[in-house]
Amino acid sequence: MFALTTLIAVSFSIGSFRIGETEKPFLYAVLLWIILVFSALSGLSRSFVKEREAGTIDVLRLSARPQAVFLGKLFFNLTLLLALESIIVPLFILLMEYKIESFGFFAAMIISGGFGLAAGTTVVAAMIAQASARGALFSALSFPLLLPLMITGIKGCERAAIGVGVTGWPEVKISLAYVIIMITMSLLLFPLVWEE
Amino acid sequence: MICKILLITWMAVVIVAAFFYAGPATGFPGETSRIVFFHVPQAWVATFSFLLSMVGSLLYLTKRNPGADYLAQSAAELGFVFCLLATITGSIFARATWGSFWNWDPRETSIVILLMIYGAYFALRSAVPDEERKRVFGAVYSILAFATVPFLVFVVPRITASLHPENTMSPAKPAMDPETLVVFLGSLLAYTGLYLWILQIKIRISKIESFKKPNIGQR
Repeated sequence: MFALTTLIAVSFSIGSFRIGETEKPFLYAVLLWIILVFSALSGLSRSFVKEREAGTIDVLRLSARPQAVFLGKLFFNLTLLLALESIIVPLFILLMEYKIESFGFFAAMIISGGFGLAAGTTVVAAMIAQASARGALFSALSFPLLLPLMITGIKGCERAAIGVGVTGWPEVKISLAYVIIMITMSLLLFPLVWEE
Repeated sequence: MICKILLITWMAVVIVAAFFYAGPATGFPGETSRIVFFHVPQAWVATFSFLLSMVGSLLYLTKRNPGADYLAQSAAELGFVFCLLATITGSIFARATWGSFWNWDPRETSIVILLMIYGAYFALRSAVPDEERKRVFGAVYSILAFATVPFLVFVVPRITASLHPENTMSPAKPAMDPETLVVFLGSLLAYTGLYLWILQIKIRISKIESFKKPNIGQR
């Protein structure tokens, strides 16, 4: 919902004619990533808080291994994000008349970006479920972790739109490296956060 | 005591030498290059401090020893202060050299992210009521954040262009003349000494504070 609201606000206030043709690829990439990151931040913070509020967190602690819980939450977040992206990105392209030269690269960038957003925020979500001032804290904690991914994603989408330097998909590789590092670190660190 | 007097004297000598002994480097407008004697040691101390904080976090997670957490927290706080100092001095230098206080050069970007990471670290610590959870979470977050540093150091600078004078960033390259190098290394030493002194005081303060609160150190 947040994603849709921002998308409509952006589309309404900027439109597709306000921005000059040469600056379009870069500015659109920035706007798209701002929408994606902030809707991820508003949606994913709930993943562990939900369990706590429903009182199911202790049962989960007893019945499953920490890694299993982590992977389950990760895949849930991932599904959520990919579903969100499959709605937002086509709408964004349509509303803003976003011309993309290298479509495969663009799609790979968005999907690997979704993996990165899920991988970078899951452990943080588990931590804030046990802290006070949850919502604000989640954004404050996640944003620095997601910034490298965001910079890479913006660069990648810009390149995909222009169609220059797309051989080998360099930015997709960077963000996949980010995903692998984040998941590995999270698997190692999550049991520490999870234990009571 | 004798160490403190020596340190203060050394610091004073370095400051005087920075302005009167070493000449201004070529390629910079006016006297601006003298910032290297203050800005770079500050940045170095901040980096060193964050590294110490990271080591403290790792030690805490493996040993669960409160002392390691005092190190992690004190080093993070001091590193934050020095990082802020480096940002401010760097920004003044940027104004004098490139005409604007802030240019989003990769190093400026990464220093801002560092400040954000440690700001978040302090926010996280203050938001968790339980002492042990607080320490574990702080350690986990600082390790997780450290994992993103290679991206900021190696990847982001490669996809954007830098303004920083490269040979002043690493003293290993012999771009400085001998007098400058001597003062620079002296300043590094002075800053590191000053840092270790403050760090030791901070750790002592954390220990004393922990006695005031019950149920710490007994778990």
